[in-house]
Amino acid sequence: MKPLAIATQSTGTLSVNQSQQSGKRSVRYETILLIIVAAVVVIIAIGSHGNFWSSSNLTSLFVNAAITAVPAIGMTMVIVMGGIDVSIGSVVGLTATVAGLAFEQNWPIALVVVLTLVTGAIAGLINAWFIASRKLPPIIVTLGTMSIWRAVVYALLGGNWISTIPMTLTTWFVLDKLWVIPWSFVLTVAIVLVAAYMLRRRPMGRHVYAIGSNEEAAGVLGLPTKRVKYMAYVFLGALTAIAALMTLGQSPLVQATTGSGFELDVIAAVVIGGTSILGGRGTVIGSLLGAILTQLISDGVILFQIQPFWNGVVTGAMIIIAVIMSLLNQRGAAHE
Amino acid sequence: MYQEPLIFPHLSVLENIFIGHPILDRFGNFDTAAMREKALPIFESLGLDPDILPVSISKLRLGYQQLVLIAQALVYDSRLIMFDEPTSILSGAETDHLFNVITFLRQSGKAVVYISHRLEELLVIADEATVLTDGRVVGHTDRSELEPERLLALMAGKATRDYAAPRERKLSVQSEEPPVLEVEQLTLDPLYANVSFAVRQGEVLGLYGQVGAGRSEVALSLFGYLRPKSGTVRLRGQEVRIRSPRQAIAQGIGYLPEDRKLQGIFSFQSISSNLVSTVLPRLAGPLSNIRWREVAKVVNRFRTELNIKMGAPSDSIISLSGGGQQKVMIARWMAENLTVAILDEPTRGIDVVTKRDIHDLIRSLAEQGLAIIVISSDLPEVLAVSSRIMVMNRGSIVASYEEVTDALAEDILGAAIGMPAQEEAQ
Amino acid sequence: MSRGAGVFRKIGENYGVLILVLVFTVVGANILQPGILSLQNVSSMITFGVEIGLIALGETLVILGGGGGIDLSVGSMYAVSQVVVGLLAQGHVNILLAVAAGLAAGVVMGFVNGLLVTRVKIPAIITTLATMYAFSGVALLLTDGIDVSAFPASYSFIGQGLIWGLPAQFVLLYVPAALLLWVVLSKTVYGQQLYLTGTNQLAAVLSGINVKQVRMWTYVITGFLAAVAGVVDSSRLVTARPDAGATANLAAITIAVLGGTSIFGGKGSVWGTAIATLVITLVSYSFSLANINSVIETGTIGGVLIVVILFQGYLVRWFARGGRASAKA
Repeated sequence: MKPLAIATQSTGTLSVNQSQQSGKRSVRYETILLIIVAAVVVIIAIGSHGNFWSSSNLTSLFVNAAITAVPAIGMTMVIVMGGIDVSIGSVVGLTATVAGLAFEQNWPIALVVVLTLVTGAIAGLINAWFIASRKLPPIIVTLGTMSIWRAVVYALLGGNWISTIPMTLTTWFVLDKLWVIPWSFVLTVAIVLVAAYMLRRRPMGRHVYAIGSNEEAAGVLGLPTKRVKYMAYVFLGALTAIAALMTLGQSPLVQATTGSGFELDVIAAVVIGGTSILGGRGTVIGSLLGAILTQLISDGVILFQIQPFWNGVVTGAMIIIAVIMSLLNQRGAAHE
Repeated sequence: MYQEPLIFPHLSVLENIFIGHPILDRFGNFDTAAMREKALPIFESLGLDPDILPVSISKLRLGYQQLVLIAQALVYDSRLIMFDEPTSILSGAETDHLFNVITFLRQSGKAVVYISHRLEELLVIADEATVLTDGRVVGHTDRSELEPERLLALMAGKATRDYAAPRERKLSVQSEEPPVLEVEQLTLDPLYANVSFAVRQGEVLGLYGQVGAGRSEVALSLFGYLRPKSGTVRLRGQEVRIRSPRQAIAQGIGYLPEDRKLQGIFSFQSISSNLVSTVLPRLAGPLSNIRWREVAKVVNRFRTELNIKMGAPSDSIISLSGGGQQKVMIARWMAENLTVAILDEPTRGIDVVTKRDIHDLIRSLAEQGLAIIVISSDLPEVLAVSSRIMVMNRGSIVASYEEVTDALAEDILGAAIGMPAQEEAQ
Repeated sequence: MSRGAGVFRKIGENYGVLILVLVFTVVGANILQPGILSLQNVSSMITFGVEIGLIALGETLVILGGGGGIDLSVGSMYAVSQVVVGLLAQGHVNILLAVAAGLAAGVVMGFVNGLLVTRVKIPAIITTLATMYAFSGVALLLTDGIDVSAFPASYSFIGQGLIWGLPAQFVLLYVPAALLLWVVLSKTVYGQQLYLTGTNQLAAVLSGINVKQVRMWTYVITGFLAAVAGVVDSSRLVTARPDAGATANLAAITIAVLGGTSIFGGKGSVWGTAIATLVITLVSYSFSLANINSVIETGTIGGVLIVVILFQGYLVRWFARGGRASAKA
């Protein structure tokens, strides 16, 4: 096959070039993020005169990062598929309330954990039904469920708060440590690794990216798009329930406002972590780094005794900057 | 505009090949190693570099993506592989590569169906050919008869058979006046290159070519929707740079889009809204208030002038037939004071009667002094309405005819599908 | 006669469901709170409805413009503008100037949203979600999170005064705003271009419509209207609250969608939004009369949003089938 040999040559040069380029790019983003995280750590450590390294600060930083990162894993999948879920702040409230009520009834802790996870999963399932089966826009649906769950929380609490949360949760998530790292963060890293593996290797995970890349083509090829969407939203709901349990470990109090505004932290972590809001791209490792970065900044705001109100401004601005960066990146790629 | 392959841009080449039926290991995971192993010999035999397997497919050129997807067919061990206009987005080198691949497929015992309007390609790779026109098989040739003249005769036979001489033929305008629109060396790689032509007042320039030849892209560039990379456009002798359709309209250029549903109609809006969409500012009073009485006048004028069959002007545009909708689209531009009208496939998907109406209309508009460019892949149409004809193929103008006669049909068709030009007028 | 019948049919088609919902709400509210429709109640209901009504008018425009247009930041713009007015008033700036500055702040914030959505091309959901928190942060920063209430006495007229026995903000602001927008949408070039843009963006571009500019204006107008609503709110309570309007986006979107605005763009009207404002205000008001917490009220509005959107989806599909019943159902 002589003519083919010639063709091979031309192919060879073209594609090797391109593979190098892409290799550089994908390494670059997470490295950049890591460098930024390191730089922010250095700045805060120096600027806070060593207060940063105090054990209580490190612990709260790790736990806060864990609380944001766990739902960020599910949110990554949802956003990669072109969806969004703004109801998770209320789902934290809902699941925390359910857990609190169960604790009030002296349920064994294992059962409470299961109940909480199931509650979160059901909240996700309801979103998924509207979004995947009824094909309604995710932003509208989750904006609606956000207010509904908040109302349910209020109705369940009846204007009171619950403080009968057992110490066990605090022991689990905050006090017990692996060297200096609370188990909640270790658990988070473990979930991130499992999710990263699922997204990279399992068919379900690859389908998430396929749907986000080209939903129509995914349908034509007969991929189970509906099932994958259900999976992602339900998974996100369950992960949000885990975050709620960690929150209870950190501050053992359930009130009507528990978790409100939390969705922005998580969406910010995901978007800053490099997930494209246009779908198709994003990694859970990036989201973990994004969660660490956003929490570092909140931590810095506290350590530097800056107005806590800066948080919203900074987070909002960071989302916009991250999105602009990823859009520029994508447009650049399209021009090749 | 492109026949885009069915791909997942953010997935790797390997995954794009296997996503429908992945190879899983015993734990049910994607077995990348096994898939790579299976893909390697296929890539080798297709002359593709295995280094691109883990690369995200969006990083490859569009043409390459298509070559890669051929591997998919081989992986699934298909016995029949169909190519639908595969070269429309391939460069010359990629096309050569594709032909090598097809030769290889044939040698390894696969059946290949190759759909193309490019005659020269068929002559290179086909064993036998079937000619289809307007959804009907008009002829079949086997290897021994596979000659350009024979194929062309089959294709043109249908075209000329359908062709009814127009009621009157518009002659070229012989005028001392400079052309209204002059285009020089307009280029937008890779869609079209070095396109030059001129249109005079009162002329209908037929721009013939197959779908994907770059005709609509040239039109969209003149209309300011696409930005050409180089070249000049002169309007009434003055060089202009048009950056948006809005500016084009201000300069007196109108464009009737190719795809009525996607680019033309506003589905749930009324017939009058649709008709006046381009002229709204001109129908407005001092406070930018729309003078509905004027709108009604315009609508009524075109309703009678173009014989549009409709209920109330406030009815939804989708209550009209395809022909009626198209007339509204044309009226949209007649309401504007145009110098140059570009009509892209003005009668696609329209009944015969309306088609004839529209042809008459085009001729009478030219007579009233408009410069018109009719883009069409319908040869009888081009012959019926044009005073001059230009032919595009693969982004270049390959032939032009200063005078239109019915006898040109085969020549034009030949030029459009890449036959060496037999005889060019002037 | 036939013209009359036609008009009736048209109203029925466009607003039939909505009017039905309104009737149900009125009956329901009457059962929940007998005597709710007393003159005094109606008057104070109108007072409450003006603010969200103004914001909903803006939201209608944004959604109408299509292309995934939505504005989640309306509540934050509402807060920032009233805080600006409050702080300037506290600094003894002429109150009219202070109000002008507050309105200008709204316009600037709307402009920022519009710029990010139409020029930088960030999807509206993400843009306005981010600016929602950013603007809200600004409002809190400006005031250290504390309410400001150093207004001159005359300021309360906008929110508490009466004209012809009706709330001043209704007569002076809402009615003119609604009428003006109705005129803009139905009688002007801009309005037509907005409907066309929302219906088919590509066809609009190819008709020479400046789609980016058309959409840009919807965000600017929304910022302005949110600011006006903010002024009304601070005048009514004689207090500027940096945390006001937290759930305004939900209510505004619900009202717009309930009023018949298609979330895919190209459909919607001032009248629909006005009637829907009435419905939502009636619900809110009867809830507050019945001493039901505002969280529950917001939850109910969220439920209404989902039900309406579900229903709207069915309707759209029903129309797409040419009005025939579903084969499955």
